[in-house]
Amino acid sequence: MSRGLARGTAVALLATALAACGGGDGSGGGTSGSGTGTGGESRELTFWMYQDRTPQAGQVIERIRRDFERANPGVTVKLVKIPKDDYNTKLGSALAGGSAPDAGILDQPLVSKYALDGTIEEVPAGLIDEAGYYRGALDTNRAGGKLYGLPQDQTTVALFYNRRLVPAPPKTWDELKQAAARVHAADPDVAGMNVPKGDGYGAWMFPGVVHGAGGAMVDDAAKKVLFDQPPAVEALQLWVDLQKSSPRAITDSDKPFENGRAAMTISGPWDVPTIKEQFPDLDFGVAPLPYKTEPAGNIGGENSVVFSTSDDPDLAWKWLAFLAGPDHNGAVADALGGFPVHLKARVVAGGPEQAAFLEQLKVARARPAVPQWIQVNDEIIAPAIESALTGRATARQALADAAARTRSLLGWTG
Amino acid sequence: MAAPVLERPPARPGGRARRRPDARRRDHLIGALLVAPALAYFLVFLLYPALSALSYSFTDWNLRTEAAWVGLANYAGLLFDDVKYPHFWKSVGVTLQYTLIAVPLTLVTALAQALLLNAVRRGANVFRLLLFLPVVTAEAAVGAIWRWLYDPQYGLINTLLGLVGIPGQNWLNTPELVIPALAFIAAWQCGISMIIYLAGLKGIPGSVQEAAIIDGAGPWQRFRRVTFPMLRPTTFYLLVTGVIAALQVFGLVYVIFSGNGRSVTGGPEQSGLTYVLHLYLFAFRYDAMGAACAMSFILLVFIVIVTALQFRFVKQEAA
Repeated sequence: MSRGLARGTAVALLATALAACGGGDGSGGGTSGSGTGTGGESRELTFWMYQDRTPQAGQVIERIRRDFERANPGVTVKLVKIPKDDYNTKLGSALAGGSAPDAGILDQPLVSKYALDGTIEEVPAGLIDEAGYYRGALDTNRAGGKLYGLPQDQTTVALFYNRRLVPAPPKTWDELKQAAARVHAADPDVAGMNVPKGDGYGAWMFPGVVHGAGGAMVDDAAKKVLFDQPPAVEALQLWVDLQKSSPRAITDSDKPFENGRAAMTISGPWDVPTIKEQFPDLDFGVAPLPYKTEPAGNIGGENSVVFSTSDDPDLAWKWLAFLAGPDHNGAVADALGGFPVHLKARVVAGGPEQAAFLEQLKVARARPAVPQWIQVNDEIIAPAIESALTGRATARQALADAAARTRSLLGWTG
Repeated sequence: MAAPVLERPPARPGGRARRRPDARRRDHLIGALLVAPALAYFLVFLLYPALSALSYSFTDWNLRTEAAWVGLANYAGLLFDDVKYPHFWKSVGVTLQYTLIAVPLTLVTALAQALLLNAVRRGANVFRLLLFLPVVTAEAAVGAIWRWLYDPQYGLINTLLGLVGIPGQNWLNTPELVIPALAFIAAWQCGISMIIYLAGLKGIPGSVQEAAIIDGAGPWQRFRRVTFPMLRPTTFYLLVTGVIAALQVFGLVYVIFSGNGRSVTGGPEQSGLTYVLHLYLFAFRYDAMGAACAMSFILLVFIVIVTALQFRFVKQEAA
């Protein structure tokens, strides 16, 4: 029995034992290894992606897949769709078992990790014209200055506001605090804002607020932790202040914004169609995040990479560039639930909310390219945010402590 | 199942001595064949991965690159390094708290349900089905239902408490209440224990109960002096398996704190960060499979010790 198989079995066992509750398992784990040989006419390519958000999105991807096959006779592209919650687990198992696909979607913070240990290939020179892409989205694919993947869609979060409670969206932190206080004073059963919490998700949103005060979380080139500096402390203090007009007993209930119990919340474009469908009576708008000194936001979305084990990397890159290119990226990004990453790609027309997200994306910043960032985010920053929000520590103490822990973990001195 | 093969007709007297070793060998072969699938399953899917996990626990491994040997560093780090694993001991505490609440609560609920079912004359099948339903309900649905029940604004539980004048709580978002709230769900899902208790109850001879009645024992005395002692083997079995399962609790926490595709980081202030959830995060989110394997072996050793202590100190025989 080969080593690879051994690892695969060990990991698959752990994975199934632990993640068995992850829901629909339709696509089945490490499907068919890498594409078959390079020889002759028929070339096969396996591409892993998240499960379709909607049946329509699946049809769009299917159409583009057929277009690619028609443009490249003899090529078969095999799409393997995996529920998003299980994706990284399954990919890890497949990599360990030596059955990784040729190419696949990869979560932004994983790109720098995978690049550093040689799991993924560098983008070949001349594949794309970098000037044709949104810079923030392209930057999420860089590690050590080199490009390791192509973005496929990008997304961001913005401020959702209930028009009945907040007629005009606040632009600055002060206006935000006033708006929240007004709402809660008018009706103590309604919270001003669904303030993010000290969990992984809240910690992910936090940098966008820090940038809005002119700060940053880290300076990864200089190996310096910056989130104990005044901009981050002020950003956390903003959330602490907002909680006064936003009791958790209200905001922790089911869908507080949708049910009209919280006047404002922070969320992304993925929530717009869901809210419109499930809460047709809710009159809401979307505006860029309020800021202190400069408009800013954070960036999310899906990147795509070619795995080093691929038998046919050229074909894999061709497919990824096809998806990310100006002709198809508009439809691809829409199907994936985000906005195009190519400057010339057509933005699929959306509702009036779209303008706010696009404006936000112009000032969005990629998250720190630190391989251990997810752990720092979950295990250090999230608890620090929570301890400030629950009043166990001041914002300054909580972040100073978290910064010290982060320095020890990363071995940074600054 | 193998009976027809084994119960062959008696052989002719003359041939008996000659054929016997042959037949025995055949019986052995058939026996081996019959256990082969289970043995193969055990070797390939349990023992072998467990042994490779043990060897990976001495390495630094991210699933993608070659594992690097680090000796006991993972074990030492988990136990003593507060920087690398800031929430390890928290997760141990959370899991112990959960076990101490969930296991007794589950046993009491299961026994109470079994006693009621045993006493019911009509419709026992219907009640049994209803009480067993939580076990066969999909975990994701269980999570959604209980998030609703525990909702601080609309939740049924707060509404009921309100009827008796107890102020509503923010159950799943108050660190002190998270584990009791989860243990309560576990007790609601006690169907399997309930069925085993029910079988135990059916196994108590009617004559013993009758003798107690003739001796003038009331219902409570009969339960305390007859039924409960007679159920001791059942209770012991459920206690041991329940503790093992509780120490490994994962699915319940995962479904309660996930939703909207958000990452599960263990509830408010890590109050729901159970040991195996912590292990899962290190294995599949923080890229530290070596440390995760070490965690699973620390858990294994702990479970063996706890189980051995139970065998030593808890009464097992029916009295």
